[in-house]
Amino acid sequence: MERPFDDVRILDMTYELGRYVGRLFADLGASVTRLEPPGGLPDRRQAGSDDPATREPAVYAFEFLNAGKESRTLDLQADDGRAAFAKLAASAQVILLERGGPLYDELDWVRSLSPSVVVTSVSPFGRTGPWADAAATDLTLQAAGGLAWLSGRLDDAPLRLPGSQATMITGVYAAVATSLALYDAKATGRGHVVDVSAQECIAHSLQNSIQMWDFEKKVSMRGGEGTRDASEDMFACKDGLIFLAAPRSLGVSWNALIGWILETGHPAGEALSEARWADRVWRLTKEAKHILRETLESFTRQYTKQELTQEALKRKIVMGPVSTVLDVLEDPQLLHREFFESVALKHLSAINATTPNATVRFPGAPYRLSEPVWSVSAAAPLDQTPARS
Amino acid sequence: MRPNFLKGIRFTDLTWAGAGPFGTKVFADFGAEVLKIESMTRPDSVRTAGPFKDGVVGTNRSGYFASRNTGKHSVSLNLKTDEARRIVRDLVAHSDVVCNNFGPGAMDRLGFGYEALCEIKPDIIYLSMPMYGQDGPRADLLGVGMTISAVTSIMWQTAYGPNDPVGPGTHYPDHAANPYHAAFAVLAALAQRRKTGRGMKIDLSQVESTANFVGSAIVEAAATGIELPQIGNRSRNDAPHNIFRARGHDAWVALAVTDDAQWHALTEAIGRPDLGSDATLSHAAGRLAALKRVEDAVAGWTRELDATDIIAALRPHGIAVARVSSSRELIENDPQLAHRRYWQHVDHPEVGPVLLSSLPFTIDGERVHLERPPLFGEHTNAVLGGLLGLSTERIDALNGLGALS
Repeated sequence: MERPFDDVRILDMTYELGRYVGRLFADLGASVTRLEPPGGLPDRRQAGSDDPATREPAVYAFEFLNAGKESRTLDLQADDGRAAFAKLAASAQVILLERGGPLYDELDWVRSLSPSVVVTSVSPFGRTGPWADAAATDLTLQAAGGLAWLSGRLDDAPLRLPGSQATMITGVYAAVATSLALYDAKATGRGHVVDVSAQECIAHSLQNSIQMWDFEKKVSMRGGEGTRDASEDMFACKDGLIFLAAPRSLGVSWNALIGWILETGHPAGEALSEARWADRVWRLTKEAKHILRETLESFTRQYTKQELTQEALKRKIVMGPVSTVLDVLEDPQLLHREFFESVALKHLSAINATTPNATVRFPGAPYRLSEPVWSVSAAAPLDQTPARS
Repeated sequence: MRPNFLKGIRFTDLTWAGAGPFGTKVFADFGAEVLKIESMTRPDSVRTAGPFKDGVVGTNRSGYFASRNTGKHSVSLNLKTDEARRIVRDLVAHSDVVCNNFGPGAMDRLGFGYEALCEIKPDIIYLSMPMYGQDGPRADLLGVGMTISAVTSIMWQTAYGPNDPVGPGTHYPDHAANPYHAAFAVLAALAQRRKTGRGMKIDLSQVESTANFVGSAIVEAAATGIELPQIGNRSRNDAPHNIFRARGHDAWVALAVTDDAQWHALTEAIGRPDLGSDATLSHAAGRLAALKRVEDAVAGWTRELDATDIIAALRPHGIAVARVSSSRELIENDPQLAHRRYWQHVDHPEVGPVLLSSLPFTIDGERVHLERPPLFGEHTNAVLGGLLGLSTERIDALNGLGALS
């Protein structure tokens, strides 16, 4: 079976922001080799720390973002290491670099090794500009890219999104850019240099807030203050929270919800049928949000997430469960579709004596392709044998 | 630069609203011919959602639409008519990719199921991206981007602290995870077709796609059986690591110390050598144990200073620090984005120049220049008359039947 990228060899020297790129290619058949200095790239060293306080949660990110990649030790400070790299580069189609990692500062040399190779470099702020060398982390990038500003409560600090989203956002954009460049390189024989800025990737993912400022001179605020309908929120139920969206622009959702409440005879039905709930502007106010919460929760607290979701399905209400991470693993839809894979994680089992064969459920494909070309396997352990040219 | 990497590739693009069109935009930006099929009988919700130029509502005045549809060609077709559906099939016969983000079953009802379109174009690449997938007990659940955040745990994890979830302020999965996973899958299918001559069907469940964006958390929960801590802006590995108030109205800085040397540099910079010499704080575990003391010290310093001065004081020490930028700040005052010419002004016949984000990378040192979004139905006549070879009389007749409305 041919796979989309089974003719693509990737040399991967990323260790944080760029790691998802090689992962996506590896899943679809590319041969992706992490080239690591003796002792490993920084993410491997952290994931392999003896101290759980250092190791966690980095070890899980390591396993997820490096799944399917091979590993080879290469001392690029030494002549034979550089010669080995030059040989590998000559037969590679893609080279992935990251600021702070091997060869990032030797772009010209890397390019000179192969005229047809695509070199994608990933960095917090891009290769050029006054901040090209500025330190950054997931938190400060979500701030500098404008994403943190948009979440949180207005009377509290802005809030970042969880799970190293700077890495995930940068990863998908960089993967698409790399794939586009590769498509052209294969057609023309000409390589490309792709310079991906994490800050720009995040700034590219801000909903309509750039246009809100450009066209209406409004700064989009966290909490959707003044723009988000009272219904677009989480509400308490018997065993957790549900998320509802039933603004006037989704009238069907609101009408179906109120119809259900009225059917049950619960007093919230009458209260939410009052004329003011047809007023789109009033529904944006703090007052409306407060009243809706009190009224609606008196109803939703009688039901579980699962019961509310079933009614949402039946009645076409835009409403679903607010899942915890453990809930996601039990999501009936994901289980029905056999979303989860099972992967024996080599790194995790190596460091944790209590789970010598750490086979865990692993997120499945982000897309289903009609040919069986997607697969995932564990990240390789560090190759302890220095390569010879 | 105006790259022609995808010259000769044509899309029949039935996607609408946010996530679908954002994923096909990048193909138009790289030279593919993306035919956006739309109708005023069921207008693209971002055309009607705004923001609108000067606040004046109009089909061609939405900035949101502009930002998701650069370089595309608009073909107006009312899919409620047989004639329009026939034209879509004719377009598919001339296309490489057909894509939609309708709910499960909608394409079949229109006569556009994968098998049906394969009969017209055997090597077609066919992308569907319903919220929860094509089949299963929750396939028909209705949702918006925030619903996807909810069911994938992003909403629950976006929290100030334990049991205090807030959720993302945007329909976050619509703006990176789903459009760009979709684009990557289409590029993979194009690569596969080039080698094998075969097309492919891509079924992207937006929930499954987004679940990968919290893939590390899912692996952790699966491995440990323990729920993840809700840590907000903090870190499980070091401190201080938070967003702190700066001087000025609603001004904030993000600051992250990631090793002991940085902590010592920070204590010097904020004039607290007493903390720097406190052995209990010289390692991450000690700082995490004394979180309030550590954060109070930083907060006491930042609140007296402008964000610019905080950054100037800390960045030379290798400490990660950044202003929490609003949209306006990014557009008007960000020296890095300005230096890299991130913002583009693209002329538009109805609303004048439109400010757009560049694609977030350069290729061979250059920006990809964006072309303006189409007016509604702007290319209908050219596509029907040119590509499909229909006569003016036939097009007029179709118009009379309401097929092009």
